[in-house]
Amino acid sequence: MSINRLQRVLKRHSYLFALLLLVVALLINFSLQANLFALTTINRNLANSLPLMVLVVGQTVVIIGGGIDLSVGAIVTLGNAILATRIAADASPGDIGLAILLTCGAGLLAGVINGLCVAYLRLQPLVTTYATSFIFSGVALLILPRPGGDVTRDLRTLYLSTPGGIPFTLWMVLLIVVIWLLARGTRYAQFLFATGGKPDAAYFTGVPVNFVRFSTYLWSGLFGALAALALTVSTRTGSPHVGDSMTLQSVVAVILGGTRLSGGQGGVVGSLIGVVILGVISNIISFANVPSWWQTLVNALIIIGALVGPGLVRLARKAVAR
Amino acid sequence: MGLSLSARHIVKRYGGVLALSDGNLEVTSGEVVALMGANGSGKSTLTKIITGVVAPNEGQLLIDNQLARFSHPSAAKRLGIVAVYQELSLIPDMTVAENIWLTHEPMTANFRLRGREMRTRSQVLLDLFSGTVGPALDPEAPIGALAPGERQIVEILKAISAEPRLLILDEATASLDRQQVIRLFDLIKTWKQQGIAIVFVSHRMEEIFRIADRTTVIRNGKTVYSERMENTTEQELIRQMIGDVSLHAAAHLESPAASPVRLRVEGLTAGSVRGVSLQLHDAELLGLGGLQGQGQTDLLLALFGAIPHTGRVLVDDRPVAFRHPDDAMQQGVAFVPGDRSTEGLLLIRSILDNLQLPSWARYGFPLRMPKAYSDATSAARDLNIMMTSLDMLVSSLSGGNAQKVVLGKWLMRKPNLLLLNDPTKGVDVGAKGEFYSLLANLRQSGTSILFYSSDDEELLNLCDRVLVLHDGRISAELRAAGLNHANLVAASMGTEQRL
Amino acid sequence: MSAVDLSQNNTSNGSGRLSFMRRLSPPVLALILAVILFFAGGLVNPNFVSVTSAINVVRLAAFLGIIAAGQTLVILSGGEGIDLSAGGVVTLAAILVFRLTNGENNMVPVALLVALSAGAIIGFVNGIGVTLIGIPPLVMTLGMAGVVSGTILVVTGGQLSGKTPEIMAQWISDPLVGGIPGVVFFWLLLSGVMWVVLERSTYGRQLFAIGVNRLAARLSGVRVQRVVILTFTLSGLLSALGGFMLLGFSQIVFLNLGDPYLFPAIAAVAVGGTLLSGGKGSYWGTMSGALVLTLIDSLLTAMRARIPELGEAHKLIILGVILVILLSFYGRQRSVRQ
Repeated sequence: MSINRLQRVLKRHSYLFALLLLVVALLINFSLQANLFALTTINRNLANSLPLMVLVVGQTVVIIGGGIDLSVGAIVTLGNAILATRIAADASPGDIGLAILLTCGAGLLAGVINGLCVAYLRLQPLVTTYATSFIFSGVALLILPRPGGDVTRDLRTLYLSTPGGIPFTLWMVLLIVVIWLLARGTRYAQFLFATGGKPDAAYFTGVPVNFVRFSTYLWSGLFGALAALALTVSTRTGSPHVGDSMTLQSVVAVILGGTRLSGGQGGVVGSLIGVVILGVISNIISFANVPSWWQTLVNALIIIGALVGPGLVRLARKAVAR
Repeated sequence: MGLSLSARHIVKRYGGVLALSDGNLEVTSGEVVALMGANGSGKSTLTKIITGVVAPNEGQLLIDNQLARFSHPSAAKRLGIVAVYQELSLIPDMTVAENIWLTHEPMTANFRLRGREMRTRSQVLLDLFSGTVGPALDPEAPIGALAPGERQIVEILKAISAEPRLLILDEATASLDRQQVIRLFDLIKTWKQQGIAIVFVSHRMEEIFRIADRTTVIRNGKTVYSERMENTTEQELIRQMIGDVSLHAAAHLESPAASPVRLRVEGLTAGSVRGVSLQLHDAELLGLGGLQGQGQTDLLLALFGAIPHTGRVLVDDRPVAFRHPDDAMQQGVAFVPGDRSTEGLLLIRSILDNLQLPSWARYGFPLRMPKAYSDATSAARDLNIMMTSLDMLVSSLSGGNAQKVVLGKWLMRKPNLLLLNDPTKGVDVGAKGEFYSLLANLRQSGTSILFYSSDDEELLNLCDRVLVLHDGRISAELRAAGLNHANLVAASMGTEQRL
Repeated sequence: MSAVDLSQNNTSNGSGRLSFMRRLSPPVLALILAVILFFAGGLVNPNFVSVTSAINVVRLAAFLGIIAAGQTLVILSGGEGIDLSAGGVVTLAAILVFRLTNGENNMVPVALLVALSAGAIIGFVNGIGVTLIGIPPLVMTLGMAGVVSGTILVVTGGQLSGKTPEIMAQWISDPLVGGIPGVVFFWLLLSGVMWVVLERSTYGRQLFAIGVNRLAARLSGVRVQRVVILTFTLSGLLSALGGFMLLGFSQIVFLNLGDPYLFPAIAAVAVGGTLLSGGKGSYWGTMSGALVLTLIDSLLTAMRARIPELGEAHKLIILGVILVILLSFYGRQRSVRQ
């Protein structure tokens, strides 16, 4: 029976393999970069990674629900454009608050559009969110045609601060984890996993499958906006293509973290670990003095190794069993 | 506590197909009404309409004499109408407890689930079936790890946990073993006393006569008969279900005793099969019997090369090692699966595509389409498939015709050895008769047939010999005088009884 | 394939409104849309509707169409099939040919062979990952896209030296016969080949089968894994071919030459009526889809010439909206409730 229980625990906590990967990666990184665990290094690394971490929360929810959102990068760009144009160097808290509200509103509106198309028009998520990403990028470009903006330094100071010796960004990560753990124990979460796991069965049981799917895109829109906030506060400027690379990165991070693309299982904790892994790999490559034109390839090979890893292990186990 | 349901003159169209033209059903608190009908008769459609999964085109649903219109299954659930299908509504990655309580989980004031309460209440429900299930069935077990019978029990418990006033059991006993069925019927009697109204949909005559108070029969989309059980007979019910088409004679033939051995199996192990040896002669119809899930399907799949296996297999005295169905096909072996829509057909492709799928390589490159069409046409004609053209989508065919397409694609290759995996499950009585004639014809032309059926009557009528599987091994070989129902049942349970 | 066809998607049948559209097969409908768009362009700019302009549109569409050929096969194979490495393979192929020929006409066949082999190898690796290791195609091809990009950087060392042979420009992109460039003829030839492969070969029939129902296909003797591996290999090969053609058009290479074609290729397949879940569709559809997408792009560019206020931003928004609208005609999935 104990093997059975172990299997169950492994299934329930899908991020365990990612955690293992992370530990290995951190060890390698530490061997190359002695000050890896110094407060300033951690602060800097987290400051870079936080936008993607916030973004993957929404993407994880969408993927667990059986869909995918390829417009998240465009939503970040949109949010960035709004924030960069509405928060000046001398902005008052009122201005800032209004700008944040507007950004979140825009993110939610983007989510509504995505959700309507995927859940109610029943369009295929991949191509549809790709199409809507054009719309959001276009609107972003209308708001901010050229790079610019000078967001108040005060926000950045807050972003990089270390209240109580712990980086503000780390507090944010902990907040995200706490929120997720609380949310995981609600009926909505059960609906989410059921919808992603087997939508027909969920429907027969009375789960409002269409509404659940729709709501997942609202989450990814909202978290896209929040990711834009983290990003803009940190860079203090707006740029028309700032979110482009984040879309596929978010998908990779979610999968590295153990959430299955087909839906029905997984979690935010794994995705956060996935983001950290991506950052650590990037660190390793630069500290290992890999020649600059080899860096992209090495990065890609490591990532594909990590993606392929669980599958290879399964293959090996099957071959041994035979 | 219970309710009264009256479905009147329900009409349902799916695109161009009329599934129900005049569906009627009455059931009141505290009674069990059996809903009977051949496959494709419309009875599943009727239950889906009652539970709000599907919307009717015309007709009235009266619950407690009030008109009801359901826009979503949850609306029907709110009125206390719950259905149990064949494990259609369980989420594989979630646990037993999570599945049972899905959509009505016990919660705290802050919307958080009460995990412990879910587990204890699930255990209480599971205890209703104690003694008939294994220890693997506990509240924390993921559904994917359970056996079909256990999953079915979870489905039933899930329905009960919603405290239904009307319970619909749609073929709910199909994957349960004898003991589990007995326990279920005991529970049904309790539920009747509590006032719950129950609709029992089943193909199993014996069970219906055991548990039902009244019966309603649907044929070709219309309710044609409704009567109390004590006022009717088995023959009458069959007559109502199939109309006036007479049952074709069984395909019973004299077994060619001294004919050569076509298939020899020694010590086959695969999946749930644990060492099976058998011999199948030319033109013989050998049956596989026993309770569900004892290895019959895995045995057939292994022989077809679809699952890995060990042991010796010889076809026409030549050793073979099939590692893929393609290998088996090259040696003249064919396999007809039990679940045609998931295993046997390409639903959104044409009849031609389905019939020729195993055989395209014969038509060269580029494919000689005129020959492919004419070969398929003659096959369809031989099987009497009702269609307007080979280019029709196979999804537009009725159940019986679709099953013929599944058969047809193999018969076109004139197989030497035909493996059948419960092919008449869910096929209506009329089509069954045609099927039996086909088997008889095949045997005349020398094909050997290995035939698994979950229907004991069918095995007894059709086969020369029956091998009964129990726990992955052959527990008995029944032939001639020994081939009777009592021995079959005894061997299925793993005991012996010689009559 | 007849022009009149039954509804291809298992959508719940709605009202009679627009139901006549469901009777026309998607490629035909997309083609009609393309024609409408073409003449709509004339409303904006009278010079738009001319033979030269039409030829130019078809020429541009040809490149997209050729690149989308491999994508069509992968999507038809089902199992959430998609090839996100196609953009990278296009770039890699173009760069390889650019480098290896270095402007020499007689090096073209060798360079082409090398490029096609590289594409096929990448596709083969994708196929192995998807079948034997069991990685979802989205993930595998996404990962390989990164590997391909990285390989390009290593191979070129960041320096894009080389030259496009003249013969390529002459045969591919310059007017060849009657003002029509070679790539259009090649596209037509490719469409014929694709038709034979899809509709008149065992491979094609098996491809459709695994797209619909892999279990039923396997139980009917189809070697599913082999078909999938072959499909991804062909996709890589065809993408490389597309890269070769693209080089004949652009004459120069840069590091993300192929990237702007990746998602439009997928969109072209979807707009052309091929089910993104696989099992039903055709290359004609992809061709019509490529025409539609190219026309939308050209139309928007023409409108921008007329209305200077119409910036890149408006173009993006309109493109996205039109794509969504097109998808809602033919991209709809099965409903949970019927």
